[in-house]
Parts: sequence; C-alpha cells; structure tokens
Amino acid sequence: MRIYAFCVYLFLYTPIAIIALFSFNAGRHASQLQGFSVQWYVRAFRNPFVMDALETSLIVAFVSATLASVLGTLAAVGLQTMRGPARAVFDGVIYVAIMIPGIVIGIATLIALVTVFDVLNPLLASLWFEDRQPPRLSMGIGSLIAAHTMFTMALVIVIVRARLASLEQVLGEASADLYATPLATFMQVTLPLIAPAILAGFLLSFTFSFDDFIIAFFVAGSETTLPIYVFSSIRRGVTPEINAIGTIVMVASLLLLIIAQLILRRRPER
Amino acid sequence: MTHIPIDLQYATSEQPDARPPIAALRNVFKVFGDVVAADQLNLSIAPGEFLSFLGPSGCGKTTALRMLAGFEAPTSGEVLIDGQVVNTIEPYGRPVNMVFQSYALFPHMNVADNIGYGLRQRRPRLARAEIARKVGRALEIVRLTGFEKRRVWEMSGGQQQRVALARAIVNEPKLLLLDEPLAALDRKLRKEMQIELQDLQRQIGITFVLVTHDQEEALSLSDRICVMREGRIIQTGDPQNLYDHPKSRYVADFVGTSNFIDGRVEHVADGVATLATPSGLRLQGAANAGLKAGDEACLSVRPEQIHMHRDAAPGSLPGTVHNRIFLGEHTEYLVQQPALGSLNVLAPRQGQPDDLSFQTGEPVHINWNPARALVLSPD
Repeated sequence: MRIYAFCVYLFLYTPIAIIALFSFNAGRHASQLQGFSVQWYVRAFRNPFVMDALETSLIVAFVSATLASVLGTLAAVGLQTMRGPARAVFDGVIYVAIMIPGIVIGIATLIALVTVFDVLNPLLASLWFEDRQPPRLSMGIGSLIAAHTMFTMALVIVIVRARLASLEQVLGEASADLYATPLATFMQVTLPLIAPAILAGFLLSFTFSFDDFIIAFFVAGSETTLPIYVFSSIRRGVTPEINAIGTIVMVASLLLLIIAQLILRRRPER
Repeated sequence: MTHIPIDLQYATSEQPDARPPIAALRNVFKVFGDVVAADQLNLSIAPGEFLSFLGPSGCGKTTALRMLAGFEAPTSGEVLIDGQVVNTIEPYGRPVNMVFQSYALFPHMNVADNIGYGLRQRRPRLARAEIARKVGRALEIVRLTGFEKRRVWEMSGGQQQRVALARAIVNEPKLLLLDEPLAALDRKLRKEMQIELQDLQRQIGITFVLVTHDQEEALSLSDRICVMREGRIIQTGDPQNLYDHPKSRYVADFVGTSNFIDGRVEHVADGVATLATPSGLRLQGAANAGLKAGDEACLSVRPEQIHMHRDAAPGSLPGTVHNRIFLGEHTEYLVQQPALGSLNVLAPRQGQPDDLSFQTGEPVHINWNPARALVLSPD
C-alpha cells in the first residue's frame, strides 16, 4: 500500500520536479543537464511578449478576484438570511458552478457574450451620432474579467458562507441590542469576523484566475494571458524559458494557496 | 383533630404598584407555527424591581424576555416600555439591554471595546473621553478595573459574565434583561455571581428582568417571581408568598419541594378544607380558593413543616424511617407511612440533642400543623 501511494506521488510530481529542475539548466536541451544557471529566468523577464502576457494576467486576476470577493461576500451574507427551498436552490447552483468543467464555462460564456454583443452593438450604434465612431463591445480583457469573476465568485461564496455559518448568530442579536443598526452591525461585527475568509477567498480567486487557461482561451479574444502564451509557445517546442515561467507561476500559486490556507486555519477567535 | 384557625393572609405584592410601570405586557400572545409560546401575558414591571420569569424549558419565559428586547414581535397584544407601545420598534431602538446566556461578547474586540460598543452607537456621538470614563466606571462596578485591554476569550467564564454585565449596564438601560445568565457557571461561582447581581441591582437601581429555570436562583434574587407554564403566567408573587401560598400543585412543586397527598375534598369551612385520602384518612389544610366539596385535590406539606416524634401525639401518624441523609445543619429523612407512602421530612439540627436524631428503620410518629398544610387543586 505504501509503495502504491509512493508510486502515485512519483507519477504526479516527477514531471513538475523535472520542469523546475530544467528551468535551471544551463544548456538548451531538455535531454541533458549542463550545470546550474538562471539565464532562462532572465530571458523570460526580458521577453516583451511574456511581460505583456504577465501584465494582462495580473490585471485580470486582480480585478476579477476583487470583484468576486465583493460580490461573493454580499451574496453569502444575503444567502445567510434566506430560508427554505430558495436557499437550497441557490446553494445547489453555487456548487454546480464550481463543479462544472472549465471548458463548459468557457464555451457557455463565449456563446452568451457573443449573443449579447450581437444584440447590444447595433443598439449602441443606433444611439450614437452618425458621424462618430460608435463603441463596439468585443471579446477582450473585459470579457476575461467577467468570466473569471463569475467562476471565482462561487468559490468566495462557499468560503465566506462556511465562516458565516460558524459565527454565533447571537452576536448579531447582541449588536442590535446595543443600539447598532443592521448596517452598523455588518460593518462592526460581521465584516471583521469574516474578513479572514474574504481574504482567503480573494487569494484563491486570484490563483484560479491567474492559472486559468481553458476559460481564458475561449473568452480572451485577442488578449494573451500568461497561460495562453505558454500554450501557444509550446507548439514551437518546450524551451527552458517555458520551464522557467512554469516554475515561477507554480511557486507563486502555491504560495498564495498556502497563505489562504493559513488564514483560514488560523485559530478562529473563540 | 382539633380545629386550628388558619391564617389566610396573602402578601400584597400582587396589588398594582402606585408608580407607573417601567414596562408592561398587555394581553400578549406569541405563536410559533402551532406552538403557543406566550398565552395572554399580562404583567406590569415596577421601576427598580428585580423580576424573574421562572419555569421549565419551553414554558415561554425566554420568549417573554425576547419580546421585551425586541427580538420577537408579539402575535397580538402590546409590549410597553416606559409608557410607549414598542411592538414595532426594532431591538436597536429600545432602551433595554440584554445579558445573553452565552454572553455573546464580540471576539474581535478587547474588553473595553466590548463594553463601549453600545456607547459608540449613540448619535450624536459621545466624546472618546466620555466613553472611556463610562467604560472605566462600568469596569469598576463589576470589579474588573485594569482589564480594559484584555482579549475576551482569554478570560474565565465568571469574568466574561461580568464583562457582559458591564457592557449592558454601561448604557443605563430602562430594563436590564438577563437570559439564564448564570447557567454556564459552576455552582460556587454561580453563588458568588448571584450575590454580586443582587448588590449590583441595589447599587445602580436599574430594573432587572431575569429568566431562569433554577428556583433557588429565582427565590434568592427576585423581588417578584412570575411562575410560567406552557406560555402562561400561572402565579406571580414575592418569593415568600409563592413558597407559602402556592395556588396550584405545579407552583408548590416548582417553587421549593413539597409532599403531595392526593384525595377528595370532603367539605370546606372557614377556608379550611378536609381532604379524604383513598386510604381513609381525614386531613386538613388551608383551602385553595375555588375548592368545593367533591373536588379532586391534593394536600401539600413542606418537608420542614413535618415534625417527627418518638411517642404518639394527638393526631400523629405512625411511620418508619426509611432513609436518612445528614446535611449538616439539617437532616433529611424519608419516612414510610402505611397510608400516605413516602414523605420527605427536613429536621433542623439546631437545639436538638444528638439522641433525638432518628435511625434508619426506627418507628416514628409524624404530625404537622394543619395551618401549614395547603389543599390545592391537583393541577
């Protein structure tokens, strides 16, 4: 049994370890190690395409994670006060959003957005003066942010809901009893107590958005995120530069995930 | 048996107070689904009094308290605070504060911030220095000076309890509501806190409304007790009045302990009822209002009212000591009486020479002053 488990881990992590290892390879070929070097990292950071893609990825991840945190928290708080079958339905829908494969979300979002744009673009054009160029809605950074926000919002809702459920309801009553209006109670009691969950949700959302390839592939339009860049360069062969990018992304993602876990696990204040 | 004049004097605490009540319930009903949690509650709470709702869990006492706090709205009837109908006023709009059973201290705030929470909600805002002064004063009252910066979860149960108290009294509410505040404390600490609560109430003069299922707590703390059952207030009175003049077997059983002897009322004269037991005994006691000949009834005798003798006396009944529990200043006996079954007897030790204590298995004769026995309707 132990050997079996060991084999599973070996199978899972060997490729990742090899990528990390070869990203420090001084030579060009993936077949042989030729000494330690960070030249591929330097090259990756000097490559303007990589930097562009990184910038796009960071913007999308940051904006979508922020939106998801705000909207997800509001949704979670709203759901907490709901009762009965409506709540069960919403709960189910949220879990479905997490379980649906990325490719389905990608295609569905693409079709939905294209359909909406087809309706809105002529409408916008008709509203503008004839001599001016009407704005045209199209796929791009906006659609990327929208799709990622939608997906990661479900994550935030689940995490914040768990925290809200563990809060004693009597704290809200105590606050109301001490003359705090519902808004004041939310700001002074609920929000500070669920803040760690929101932060953890933000970090997870950021990681998911930053790492996502499938959804981005469908809705990015002409934009290139880092995973899309990596994918398209692989078609020209795996270079050590790609290994270096992969290693950086992996380390950054792992760090964010670990921080999120630490925040969530931190001893809840009684 | 000789006829003994029975003193039927009732305490006057049920008479309406001359001062206008600080809070009142008028014909209040509360229904949850098909459960009636409050059934026609009528009550006036006098300024400065210490009132308790006493009853088993599910009797509606907490519902009554929560309607005063504003967490529940009555299905019908009126809740008044300081002369105003407050039915539609939210908890945060009511000049009352509550001490919760679980304390409900805010875990992300230190002691001073917890206590100052209510003061910080005031509009127009209070000056920081004013809040700090009031918080300091409240800490002084609950004897926690110097604990301002402590985190609440680092404190013991008793200390948390005091922080919860301070957080409520610092607002100088018209009513302080206490929901089983001592239930989570161990026995010794509970005793201490009871004394502190009573001192505190005298010191600050705020009206206290306590909910408890602990009759000892209600008896020792309250000026007035409302005994509740199935959503109704079945008797209200000061502790001694309730103990001495329960109007029903339920109250006699819930407030203190008592021996109950079932039977049928033979006749009632001058407030004295004669009860015939199934075993053929004739027993007398002060008649509960409304009892008449032929009614099912029960005779209630408190354990401390039964006297034990070595020799037969006029009107005494023979029995056998079945069990003996030495309690220090008292000894509790279980006496087996052929016609009446087991009776609890509480005999004080004071003034009793050692040779007068009875041994298990010893034959004894018991009697009681009929004026100290009550004939009650069985429910």
